[in-house]
Amino acid sequence: MASAGVAGEPFFALPFGDIVNYFTPYTAVLFGFALLFTLICILSRPEQQLDVVFGTDAYYAKGVTGKELRFRRFMSIACGCATMAAMVSGDVFNFTLFVSMVGVCIIGIVAAVKSRHVLDAAYNYGIIAIVATIPLFGGAAITLATTGTLSIWELSAMASGMPLIAKMLIIVGVMGEGIAPFYAAKAELFRAPGAPYVIMIHVSSLLMFLRVVEILLTV
Amino acid sequence: MISGYIIGLIVVFAGVALTFSAFLKERDDVHKLILADLTEIAGLAIIALTATDLAEALIIPGLVVGISELLAVSEIYLTREKLFFQPEKLFTIEVMDSAPGIMGAVLVIFGIILSGFTGGAVAATGMIFYFLCKGHKERFSLVETVSAYAWVLWIAAFFTFMLAPSYWFFGVMMAGGAILAKVVAKMSLIGAMRGESNA
Repeated sequence: MASAGVAGEPFFALPFGDIVNYFTPYTAVLFGFALLFTLICILSRPEQQLDVVFGTDAYYAKGVTGKELRFRRFMSIACGCATMAAMVSGDVFNFTLFVSMVGVCIIGIVAAVKSRHVLDAAYNYGIIAIVATIPLFGGAAITLATTGTLSIWELSAMASGMPLIAKMLIIVGVMGEGIAPFYAAKAELFRAPGAPYVIMIHVSSLLMFLRVVEILLTV
Repeated sequence: MISGYIIGLIVVFAGVALTFSAFLKERDDVHKLILADLTEIAGLAIIALTATDLAEALIIPGLVVGISELLAVSEIYLTREKLFFQPEKLFTIEVMDSAPGIMGAVLVIFGIILSGFTGGAVAATGMIFYFLCKGHKERFSLVETVSAYAWVLWIAAFFTFMLAPSYWFFGVMMAGGAILAKVVAKMSLIGAMRGESNA
């Protein structure tokens, strides 16, 4: 990379043609976080939510068991893998693809929950996530059309870099996939029981936000 | 002078604006989902406007992610509305009794001749039509398995391109056949799997 940018000097790069996947201190830390949370999802058992019946000593236990547990664990691991890939991707289009894939996996994590409130929130989030693919892919496509490359590595070396409109589209797209202001739709999803899996929804949004900032400051 | 690319972009974004205005008025959830799918197509059109080989290669992953999002959200809708059972009254017209055999066969054979992704889609349309008309009691886990092995063959074909480029023709044939089988198997499951025990 021509300039180290905000991410520091890259200490490992894996080139596929002009697409270079790279680890800088910044992306390596983000990758490490995603890996850690994926491991937690693999190894830990889900929480049990308890609802106390108001005015009495009775309570409901809302556990996650059996088929639902396996499905949600699988989806959260898939979400972790997509997040890890988005963290190290050296290609703008691959990044946008993985961001959309994180969106799909997030819907999957709460799809098996029976609560209508959570399903309503998931439905609305899903609609926003689908619509957000236009600015995401649009930003990547406009970058390709104007600069002739999608490689973050090459874009950072160019004097002109990514056009401003493409940057704006990508940030709007990532917003739609789950950072503020659209985070409101996602926050409701946390009411679903099953802590480590549901926390993956939050972690993936946070990491996507940090990574998109790095990409937009670099290119 | 404004280039064709800019004109194309303006047209697509006008289409997107139109869809968004429809979103503002629409209250029905299923219709919202269909509108979201329409906007997805606008996203693919923006990629297609680049009009290079690379853009063509980007459309398929874009399409796949879009379809998987659509499937995930429809699944949420089904769970929320508790639509787990096969509808009692199915759609029937006369052509569905007389045509499925010949139509299915023609489409599958034409698809095999076309081969590749397009052929897979054509052949799968034939199979979906057949299943739609004749009902289905097949072993879907077997179809899934075929699809998975076809995927493995497809990946093997890519490794052939990378590791032994001189065998490119073998690789092309393998990839064309495998993607045909994969797309047919996957698409023929659409609307056929409704959570049965063998699904």
